[in-house]
Amino acid sequence: MFGLVLADLRRQALGVLAVALLIALATALGVAVTLGERALRLGSARAAGAFDLVVGAPGSETQLVLSAVFLQPAPLPLLPGRVLAALRTDPRVAFAAPVGFGDFAGDDPVVGTAAEAIDGLGGLSEGRSFETLGEAVVGARVDRAIGAEFSPLHGRRSEGGHVHADIRYRIVGRMTESGTPWDHAILVPIEAVWAAHAEHEPENELQEGEAHEGETHEGEARAHDAAADDLAHTSPTSGDTSLQDGAQHAEAVATTLPPVPSAGLAGIAGAVRRHHPDLDAPVNPAALARPDAPGVPAILVKPRTIADAYTLRQAYRGERSLAVFPAEVLTRLYGTLGDARTVLSAVATGAQALVAAAILLVVVAHVRQRRRQIGALRAFGAPRATVFAIVWLEVFAVVGTGVLAGFGIGYAAALAGAARIGAAGGINLPVEFRAADGWTLLMLLAVTAAVTLVPALLAYRQSPAEALRA
Amino acid sequence: MLSLRVEDLEMRFAGLDAPALSVPLLALRAGERVAVTGASGSGKSTLVNVLTGLHRVRQGRVFWGEIDIAGLSERRRDAWRARHVGLVMQDFHLFPGLSALDNVLLPQRLSTWRPASGIAAEARRLLERVGLVRPDQPVETLSRGQMQRVAVARALAARPGLLVADEPTASLDAEAGAAVADLLLDLSREAGTTLIVATHDPRLVSRLDRRLHLADGRITDPAPVET
Repeated sequence: MFGLVLADLRRQALGVLAVALLIALATALGVAVTLGERALRLGSARAAGAFDLVVGAPGSETQLVLSAVFLQPAPLPLLPGRVLAALRTDPRVAFAAPVGFGDFAGDDPVVGTAAEAIDGLGGLSEGRSFETLGEAVVGARVDRAIGAEFSPLHGRRSEGGHVHADIRYRIVGRMTESGTPWDHAILVPIEAVWAAHAEHEPENELQEGEAHEGETHEGEARAHDAAADDLAHTSPTSGDTSLQDGAQHAEAVATTLPPVPSAGLAGIAGAVRRHHPDLDAPVNPAALARPDAPGVPAILVKPRTIADAYTLRQAYRGERSLAVFPAEVLTRLYGTLGDARTVLSAVATGAQALVAAAILLVVVAHVRQRRRQIGALRAFGAPRATVFAIVWLEVFAVVGTGVLAGFGIGYAAALAGAARIGAAGGINLPVEFRAADGWTLLMLLAVTAAVTLVPALLAYRQSPAEALRA
Repeated sequence: MLSLRVEDLEMRFAGLDAPALSVPLLALRAGERVAVTGASGSGKSTLVNVLTGLHRVRQGRVFWGEIDIAGLSERRRDAWRARHVGLVMQDFHLFPGLSALDNVLLPQRLSTWRPASGIAAEARRLLERVGLVRPDQPVETLSRGQMQRVAVARALAARPGLLVADEPTASLDAEAGAAVADLLLDLSREAGTTLIVATHDPRLVSRLDRRLHLADGRITDPAPVET
């Protein structure tokens, strides 16, 4: 019996292949849509899962999440330094790390942040965290070796950024893979980014909305260079959560700093303007706690408890700042994505139904054409059940192979798509089957089995005498 | 070897007033070799189909040996045919993609779950007997004469008691037709089967023991052919 089925299939190999391929592609379409959508949802949810709460300046919530979590460069308004300072001393906060972006090394985003962010994302797999302003830690998927050096560009190289020629970072550590876009990022101390941008932006440009920010840059740079060590002890701002004006703070800091020879100060300021930030200075966490610290576009906040997360979000949701749960923002995006998925699924299902109908027609026509052969089988004494089984087996073999291959092709397509989209978006898109897919496959095969009964029944019902006469 | 007794057989088809076949009485001895002749539409095919259990009989009795196949269900008629009837048809009905040997074995493989051991040896013997030297040759590469010889081997492989040939030489040239006719006669004698041949071929008719001539569904010439 199997020999006959095989011989039959072999004899019509081309047609069989075409039909199987058609079924496979139709199935693959549906599978790829399902898997792809799931991968996108899971991947971005996992990427966002590492970030509990993001605080930024008022603006678009979505853009804030895209920039802080997915590191999409966008000109975000800056938060005044005092917000970071306040968060870092807030008892409800486990850690608050700034996110300063805009620089790139090659096409790898350079993110200015604090050491806590490294721990928050899973810690280091090798090397150590940055200890001076000239050191950097790379994400797991950054193709740069420990010990390598690079100069950041302002903007992507592929988009014509210019080099911060005087700044060279040395890579000292590599993070474990977090499955987030940060795997593609290079993390440097935020102070270094501030310094790079302070030296970079001429003072006259800073007189617009960002004037006070420019000043704080300078103040901060001075504070570093002159009295970084002392700052940890003398900074008046640790624990200070008041939201005063940044400029006032700068003055306050200036007055509390140890006396520095004015000539020296001017010299350093001059040096800063001549693009020579002191990158050997150690990283100083206290600098971030100063309310006069330069502004940052976003702050990653790890609340201590879930309740804290909600009170913090409440507290920082206002006219001056914006606080979002990235997961929540993404859920809203999925809502939109879900609609798109429904449409895609409907299209895929429709395509499958059409293909199935076409195939059923082909099969029915085929069985009618083979009436004589089937009649002969009966005439030679093959029991009807055997004829039925032969026809069913043949059709089911073709359609079933198509369906199985379709799952394979769909999976491969989803993998390929996820790899491309994942690489572009910088996130891991996990393409995976679930138990439910197994049931879908079984269902599909069961339906196939049931539908292929039609041609089998047609063959079964034929009178052999009439079939032979035809 | 089977004897036949047909009683009060009447076959009617929808839309036709006259019965397609009407046989009040017909008896064949076991091992008898009979030609069925008649113009097309005379009921020849219907008779062959009735005698092989391919047609369902609603009126009358068709005894092969002790069994009235008219009283059998379709499923049991299939089983009976597989067990007792060897069929040779005008169009061979070999299955392309299978070798000559596999074609010979196919009916038995399809009708029983576990074919008896030794059927392959018997099939090879028969193929050799009909003059096929390469049993593993795919059937679609055979000549028409060879194809019909494979069909003859197939019909005899299960050692049937009845060999039925429907126009076995009609689609062959004279030479191949003669060879096939020889084989049918010789092999049915060797195997001791009853032989029924529906044919137009006068040379074949003349070599059979008896001739049944059909016209308008009735046997008009039941006299034995002189040999």
